[in-house]
Amino acid sequence: MTSIAGMPVLEVKDLTVLFEGQERPAVEEVSFSLAEGQIAILIGPNGSGKSTVLRAILGLVPYTGEVRVLGMPAAQARRQIGYVPQRLAFDLTLPLTVRETVRMPLLGAHGPEAEASVQHFVEALGVADLVDKPLGTLSGGQLKRVLIVRAMVTNPRLLLLDEPEAGIDIGGEQTLYELLDRLVSHHRLTALICSHELDLVFRFADQVLCLNRRLQCTGPPAEVLTAEALARLYGPATALFRHRPGGDR
Amino acid sequence: MIEALAYPFMQRALAAGLLIGLVASSLGVFVILRRSAFFGDAVAHASLAGVAAGVVIGWPPLFVAAIVAVGIGLSLHRLERVGRLSLDTILGFILPFFMAVGVLVLSLSPGFQPELLSYLFGSILTVGWPGLATTAVVALVVALGLARLGRRLVFATFDPEGAHAAGINVGRLLTAHHVLLALAVIVSISLVGIILVNALLVIPAATAKLLARSLRQMFLLAPIVGGGGVLVGLIVSYWLDVPSGPAIVVVIGGVFLVAWSRAAWRARRVRGASHRGGL
Repeated sequence: MTSIAGMPVLEVKDLTVLFEGQERPAVEEVSFSLAEGQIAILIGPNGSGKSTVLRAILGLVPYTGEVRVLGMPAAQARRQIGYVPQRLAFDLTLPLTVRETVRMPLLGAHGPEAEASVQHFVEALGVADLVDKPLGTLSGGQLKRVLIVRAMVTNPRLLLLDEPEAGIDIGGEQTLYELLDRLVSHHRLTALICSHELDLVFRFADQVLCLNRRLQCTGPPAEVLTAEALARLYGPATALFRHRPGGDR
Repeated sequence: MIEALAYPFMQRALAAGLLIGLVASSLGVFVILRRSAFFGDAVAHASLAGVAAGVVIGWPPLFVAAIVAVGIGLSLHRLERVGRLSLDTILGFILPFFMAVGVLVLSLSPGFQPELLSYLFGSILTVGWPGLATTAVVALVVALGLARLGRRLVFATFDPEGAHAAGINVGRLLTAHHVLLALAVIVSISLVGIILVNALLVIPAATAKLLARSLRQMFLLAPIVGGGGVLVGLIVSYWLDVPSGPAIVVVIGGVFLVAWSRAAWRARRVRGASHRGGL
């Protein structure tokens, strides 16, 4: 659970988010930690607080508790966090190119390091041939990969992804997770992902966090994704259907 | 036209017009990016309250209007956050409310106010040296502001949450943008007037959006259309002896219509080609 230096990349302690006007917290006393090189996937039904956990880590919603990234309060470690939103509401007719989009977090840095970083990640994510295309002409899968490049160009240590498979076809989902898996293992990265796709969770997660306002269970997928745990999390109508025993990761 | 340039009033008008055209259209790109084309209209019309207060209390009307406009610019983002109302809804309140206050205040001042017409429709040919100096200072402030904040503003405008996650203070940045916009609107009032001021913010940037193939091109084209349109409009107004503000807006609007027709024609051609390809 810890990195080489012995320090977790992400530490969340007693995280509670109470939105204004609500009586019940959206997320209550959630605690977990992630080590370097881990892919952790947050699962849970709609409204269970998965995205809220990510947004709290990013400082987008007020919370109580403690969030530390590489030992620092999250607010002081923003440059160490990359974020890939579930959707991006933008004007499709804007003449904004992929290159301009992925360069945004660099804030105009033009040094060889910045250029090398952009070049490396557009190639790693397979969007090198799209860099001069307008963003509005991309497919869902291409757009998602561009957003991952944008999150990665500053070389963060922690990558947060909110349902990266949303808006992508089934084959594309798997390709995307394989790319993420490669990114994590090649870049000293740690990824925290919200997902509904239990098949992908089973194959790609090192750690599963089952959330339903509170953390219900946590551990490796083979231990956590049991019929009983899923029924507890999603309701008694949920059944586990393993069509690829053991996974093929 | 050469002889016209010999007149100091024309020189001042061209210089002030060019500066305002460049500044307003550059800021206009962010207005288009934020899809808040209503901003300029609302702040310009709301500034009538400041103009009216200035007339009644005997202060320079545009100075008081600037206080009102900057006050609005400073509070907009906060109002958006605390009031559970969208920017457009807040602007939809600001425009008629402040304008109504302006009209009521003016009704307290006896007699006809001929200078009010110049605030409503602009009178760039009467811009004096102090007016030109003020315009130059505002242009410099906006140019420096955009040079310093431009890239962060693009990020925050395109994806506020992503920008916040990257450590950018989005609220402060958008407030700075609103203040720069408010200043640009106020100096633009002397050129085209309260009624037409939004044209300088929106039309050049919208034209650039139709012509550009990248955001960089859009940022380059908008001031060319804005600054060029103002100069051509002033020349046209001199030749035809017509009011300068409307002439400028008609020239810029004409360029927009050409760009729009071109974009529509290209889109139809692409649709036609894909339809034929599909058969």
